[in-house]
Amino acid sequence: MKISKLKKKMGLIGTLVLLLAGVTGFCMAGELDVFAGEKGVLRISGGTAHIPVMKAVAQKIMTFNPEIQITIAGGGSGAGIKQVGEGLVDIGNSGRSATETEVTKYGLKMYKWAIDGVAAVTHPKNPVKALSTRQLQDIFSGKILSWKEVGGEDKSINVYTRDTASGTRSVFWEKALKESDITSKANVVVSNGAMKTAVNNDPYSIGYVSVGFIDEGVSPLTLDGIAPTMDAVKSGQYQVARGLFSNTKGEATGLAKKLIDYLLGPDGQAMAVEKGFIPVN
Amino acid sequence: MDVKKIPKFIFLGASLLSVGITLAILGFMVVLAYPIFSQGMFWDMLIQPWSPGQGLFGIGPMIVGTMSIALLAVGVSFPLCCGVACFVGVLHPRGKGKMLKGLVESMTAIPTVIYGFVGIFLLVPLVRGLFSQGSGMCILSAGMMLGVLISPTMILFFSQSFSLVPLGYLNAADALGATTAQKFFYIILPCAWKSMVSGLILSFGRAMGDTLIALMISGNAVGFPGSILDSARTLTAHIGLIIAADFDSIEFKTLFVCGICLYAMTGIGVILVRLLAGKGRG
Amino acid sequence: MQTRSWLWDSGFALFAWGCSLALVGVVFIILGFLVVKGFHTLTPTLIVGDTPFWEALLLKRQVFDGLFPAIVGTLCLILLAMVFALPLGLFTGIFLAEYASFRVKWVFSIVFDILAGIPSIVVGLFGFSVTLFLHHYFFAQLFPCLLISALSLAFLVLPYMIRTTQMALESLPLGVRMTAIGLGATKFQNIIYVLLPASISAIVSGIILSIGRCAEDTAVIMLTGAVATAGIPRSLFSSFEALPFYIYYISSQYADQSELMKGYGACLVLIFICMILFVLAHLIKTKVSQKLMYRS
Repeated sequence: MKISKLKKKMGLIGTLVLLLAGVTGFCMAGELDVFAGEKGVLRISGGTAHIPVMKAVAQKIMTFNPEIQITIAGGGSGAGIKQVGEGLVDIGNSGRSATETEVTKYGLKMYKWAIDGVAAVTHPKNPVKALSTRQLQDIFSGKILSWKEVGGEDKSINVYTRDTASGTRSVFWEKALKESDITSKANVVVSNGAMKTAVNNDPYSIGYVSVGFIDEGVSPLTLDGIAPTMDAVKSGQYQVARGLFSNTKGEATGLAKKLIDYLLGPDGQAMAVEKGFIPVN
Repeated sequence: MDVKKIPKFIFLGASLLSVGITLAILGFMVVLAYPIFSQGMFWDMLIQPWSPGQGLFGIGPMIVGTMSIALLAVGVSFPLCCGVACFVGVLHPRGKGKMLKGLVESMTAIPTVIYGFVGIFLLVPLVRGLFSQGSGMCILSAGMMLGVLISPTMILFFSQSFSLVPLGYLNAADALGATTAQKFFYIILPCAWKSMVSGLILSFGRAMGDTLIALMISGNAVGFPGSILDSARTLTAHIGLIIAADFDSIEFKTLFVCGICLYAMTGIGVILVRLLAGKGRG
Repeated sequence: MQTRSWLWDSGFALFAWGCSLALVGVVFIILGFLVVKGFHTLTPTLIVGDTPFWEALLLKRQVFDGLFPAIVGTLCLILLAMVFALPLGLFTGIFLAEYASFRVKWVFSIVFDILAGIPSIVVGLFGFSVTLFLHHYFFAQLFPCLLISALSLAFLVLPYMIRTTQMALESLPLGVRMTAIGLGATKFQNIIYVLLPASISAIVSGIILSIGRCAEDTAVIMLTGAVATAGIPRSLFSSFEALPFYIYYISSQYADQSELMKGYGACLVLIFICMILFVLAHLIKTKVSQKLMYRS
């Protein structure tokens, strides 16, 4: 008698779970449904901070509808804006808003789908965990050459920076370094992923990376007492922040529009959160 | 229409197309860099530093970077290649030498990107640990890896030059009781030095033209390098890095200046080699 | 005097041995490092990721985390590049060996030496700028794609093809070259029916070396259409992935240790492919020398 009651309960719970799964599945499929019956190629390039989210979204869409091909390239925010403006790609991602000149020259339409911070990072083994803006400026401009001067070991500081096309770089330069110089002896890496790898491989390194990219491989530095956590960025306390934009030439149409809508919808936003960014919806 | 002449025209056409492509590559570079020529900035560009924020788009640091890395590579690999070529060509032409030659030939099949990959994960931490200054991504690391890259070509070239020495001379030397070292320094070297220099120039050209190793290992800093432990950028890596920039900007145009420089260096190298070979005939 | 020359001799031998051991050591360290780090990744998962093996191979389902798209991309590149480079190089080589006068040969061979010496990234830059130019003024639909990359690669291997064909034809013994002509054949018939078949092994080995060059080059495709994520190339005008580009990309931008391990695995796969091509070319070349030995 007791066993059959247990079985009944299990059966009920099981059905409920299945129903729930079915319903969510239905909902999720509903989000992707706009891509059913579509065909063609969608070209995306630009900001490297966007790539993990783009890749995840692309994988979902391409699994749902194998007739669609989505290609994703990096290149930095500058590249994304130029390429979409020249018509070489359908969506150009940028980690900074396009300037007035760029918008008028290319007729760009910007769609912001996440907020991200940029943090200075060092190797996890580095004892230095916090810096002031002044110290940061001096390190990046080459005035401070040894970790000893900021409370670390007696080793020379290896500065890593991004190329000039990078949105991450322009935000960091503008808001964290307050537009002071970056030494010409700094190693140049080409993307957020590359920055993370470089900092992770060099125990005496310092660099800067999108907050969404921070994991146990790099250790974020507290700037002027404020730690670059997702909450700090959300509340506006940590000011070195920027939006993640997807730009199109003119209003988005076709596959590009569907992708951007998906990004702005609940599924896309959930994915942004999963990858470490702050949703706008 | 002479039917017999048709094949000749087809083959001639193909050759002209091939020549045309070579010249077109240079032509395109010059045409696209034209705005820089017309503004008279070309020669300045070759010496100025790269600082887009201050409106300076000079590729001087890149030229210094390319030259230093290539020189280091050739400097490191030249003695090594001499030694191996002696082993293969002079000391042990059969047996051990043949095996080593086979190994060297198979080295030519290893892609550049593999050297770069191993460089990042093996050589860079080593250099960083050895010299406590610098990030390990520097001229030294890139130069060493590049030296390994160009070694097989140089070795094969040298051992070929050694084998071209007339057998009569070597036999005469043997008859007079010369030791291997004496044979090498007094007969082989004087006969083969011209083609050795050609091999050196061609390897230098190869070292200058390599992209991946420099891109992955040399650090790509924009300033003039001060020491071999400094990060540097080569012309080739510069092209790879800036290609994503705005197409109409001066930054992008500098790529074509880089291309022209590289093309010119290659051309000079080829002409030098030809001149050397020409002198050898007389 | 005896001791002095003995010293020189031993010093010389020591130097040669030392250099050789150093070189062998370096090669073994490089390859050994890759094998040690990457050997355990050599499973089908490396190639096809999470997708079932046969479905991926038969292109029924897309592969997201494996090397399969990159390998297919490389293969397509090789095929296309050889389609362009083979006839052009062959015909040019035939022209230089059979029809060209001494002056013309001299000038052309300088030009081709220059072509051979041009850094691969300059060729890539050329391909990219031509694409931009055409995109701006003529074909707004044209982007850096498989076709452009294949054409640029063809320019890169063209000098190899020309040189191999030319040398193969020129090194045929006089008897072979003159017999058919003596019997009344035209120059063209001579080339098609006698010379080419006789030198086919050398030419084929040249083709295989060019294929190896196409498989390993990164700089050219980096600028003309290779991207990090593209799946199997759908058409000539789509972006694609390629094995050497994948290795470059992973080396600087791996997200976690598993991706890095995939990079090691990819290195091993690439070396494997290149070595096979090399051994093949070598075997074909030795077949030639055996043939010649039997002849003489």
